Amino acid sequence: MQQTLTPVRVMRALGPLAWIGPAIVLIGVVVVWPVVVMIQSSFLKISRFGVVQGTNGTDNYTKLFAEPDFSGVMVRSLVWVVAVVGITVVLSLGLAQLFNQRFPGRRFARWALIAPWAASVLMTAIIFKWMLDPEVGLINMILHKVGVLDALGGADADPLGNASTAMPWLVFVAVFVSLPFTTYALLAGLSAIPSDVYEAAKMDGASKMRTYWSITLPLLRPALTVAALINVMNVFNSFPIIWAMTHGQPGYSTATSTIFMYILKGSDIGESAAMSVVNFGMVIILTVIFLKVSKWRTEVR
Amino acid sequence: MNKRLFGAVTVGLSAALVMTACGSESPAGGEKAADGSVTLKMVAADYGDGPTAENSGEKFWKGVVDEFQAANPGIKVDVQVINWNDIDKQVATMVQNGQVPDILQTGDYSGFVKDGLLYKTDEVLSPQTSADMLEKFAEFGKVDGVGYGIPFVSSARALFYNKDLFDKAGIAEPPKTWDELKAAAEKLKAAGVSQPFGLPLGNEEAQAESFLWFMGNGGGYKDATGQWAIDSDANVETFTYLKGLVSDGLTTPNPGTKNRKDVWADFAAGKVGMVNGGPMSIPIFEKGGLKNFGVAPIAGKSGPLDTTLGVEDWIMAFNKNGRKEEIKKFFDFFYGGTAAQKISDTYKLLPVTKSGIEKLSSDEKLKPFLEALPNATFYPFQDPKWSEVNTQIKQTIGSAIDADPKAVLGAIQKVATAN
Repeated sequence: MQQTLTPVRVMRALGPLAWIGPAIVLIGVVVVWPVVVMIQSSFLKISRFGVVQGTNGTDNYTKLFAEPDFSGVMVRSLVWVVAVVGITVVLSLGLAQLFNQRFPGRRFARWALIAPWAASVLMTAIIFKWMLDPEVGLINMILHKVGVLDALGGADADPLGNASTAMPWLVFVAVFVSLPFTTYALLAGLSAIPSDVYEAAKMDGASKMRTYWSITLPLLRPALTVAALINVMNVFNSFPIIWAMTHGQPGYSTATSTIFMYILKGSDIGESAAMSVVNFGMVIILTVIFLKVSKWRTEVR
Repeated sequence: MNKRLFGAVTVGLSAALVMTACGSESPAGGEKAADGSVTLKMVAADYGDGPTAENSGEKFWKGVVDEFQAANPGIKVDVQVINWNDIDKQVATMVQNGQVPDILQTGDYSGFVKDGLLYKTDEVLSPQTSADMLEKFAEFGKVDGVGYGIPFVSSARALFYNKDLFDKAGIAEPPKTWDELKAAAEKLKAAGVSQPFGLPLGNEEAQAESFLWFMGNGGGYKDATGQWAIDSDANVETFTYLKGLVSDGLTTPNPGTKNRKDVWADFAAGKVGMVNGGPMSIPIFEKGGLKNFGVAPIAGKSGPLDTTLGVEDWIMAFNKNGRKEEIKKFFDFFYGGTAAQKISDTYKLLPVTKSGIEKLSSDEKLKPFLEALPNATFYPFQDPKWSEVNTQIKQTIGSAIDADPKAVLGAIQKVATAN
């Protein structure tokens, strides 16, 4: 049947807009617009003071890809994401299981777990940097006292000074600050699993391992997927930990793409914008791969 | 109670309105008032620790201005002090709105020259004040041979050494050559000093530390003809020498990740034997509890440096309001009187005039800086590529300690010479 456009119908059709309109405007201004500007900037020639000097074609990208450190930075970013998210998720699974049990002091332990989350990430990173100071770092002093470290002040007492020892520490701090959120997300998932499925498994005589593998993990998958996905994006864009602890140095040997982008901003804003676009693309690709692998759409069987 | 509050708010609001009204009546430069007096508007950067500190820029300039106004009844000076983080942006806004000050004191002058906003140096400086300026410093105030920026204060570098640690290690004198430096560092190491030489090549100021070492070998960022020469043989040799020091454990560990601030803190704590520093590090060391330190010229490959790294700030006069004569009087007063010396004393900044250097020459700790100052070397900051090169140096030059110096310096050279 042909519908006629009466004012009443139009009003009714537009009605929902009044409710979702503000949200759409907000998303448009806060999310879409910056992305558009970012992509635009990556094709412009921009002076150090932010004055646009005209179009630059794809030169910014050519220059970026020709940077001798570019490939190293990208590979490092991937390793960084996989390592931090992987370790975080595995540890969080264990912690969530632990906090799901009843034990004396559980309330206190749960509170304690929030602490690294409540503290600013930058502060946490700076505190770890101080604890690893070669002369007066607390961790180094303890290692010195127990005899692992021969002398303070030397290269041995300076794990943040070279990439091979700095990266594990950076990963450690990143895991440390990611644990609370991940654990709580998984804990929420665990408490949502109904107890009757466990009873059924018990009646069937399933072992503890078998129960965990066949019941807990599959039922936990939605929570696990969300927690891991948010971590992937967070960790990929993570800036304060590396910036505060090593500044990406020596050279660019501990820099991820976010750090690299920020340093480029000091010399060439256009090239930095190109790096942002690459970064943005990487996050999207990682997310798609992750969702494919985790088959988040398929029903739990 | 409420009534009183209401009253206070009303008074405050009307006061604010009156003040804004006054503000909009008189243009920034100041008109000739009824009594014929002229008001100069000046904008200055704050060398102190903020508006509430004992050494705030407001207090400093108030002292100077009061004295000046007493001596020159027809001229008033209205000084606005802005902190270093905001001054560039605020001045840019003033210029865009046509509210330019008459006098500006800040870190750079060159941006205003192109637009023809500044008086030439000759127009606002009397010949005797001009002649008193250190030539080398005034030279950097010129664009295409014409002076616009007037040197205001400067800073330089020298070698600081911990006398107690030197005594303990049995070293009689601060090192003059690289060989002596290495020998001294070895003695310090043997005496249990964990960082014989403090070497900050991290991002904070790697460009300064590297430059000082390059100078010691006759190198630098540019060669004598003004071409970029970052990977010159002299510079590669310099880093090869540093590499040797580091691998023998005679320096700060992993210098490519260490910042000046931290190394200076270690020096103040008595954990570092020698370090390059400036007059501005003296209060830091003293605050950290180190009193017994000496200052000497920086060691070079075959002898101490006869130059140093110089940094200078500028003062300039805007021509919009046509207050040339009054500005000239103020500048003459500033450089000729006690004001220039007062700023050096208050902030441990170095003078830019010959007479100023003479007045300070009795200060034992400032002596090495003052002696090196007339022959100071500057960053090639007038080169448009410098900012990009500087970013690259800060991030990567320290990795020349671990990797091949030729390759690392070559990569920076490539940034400098790329189009």
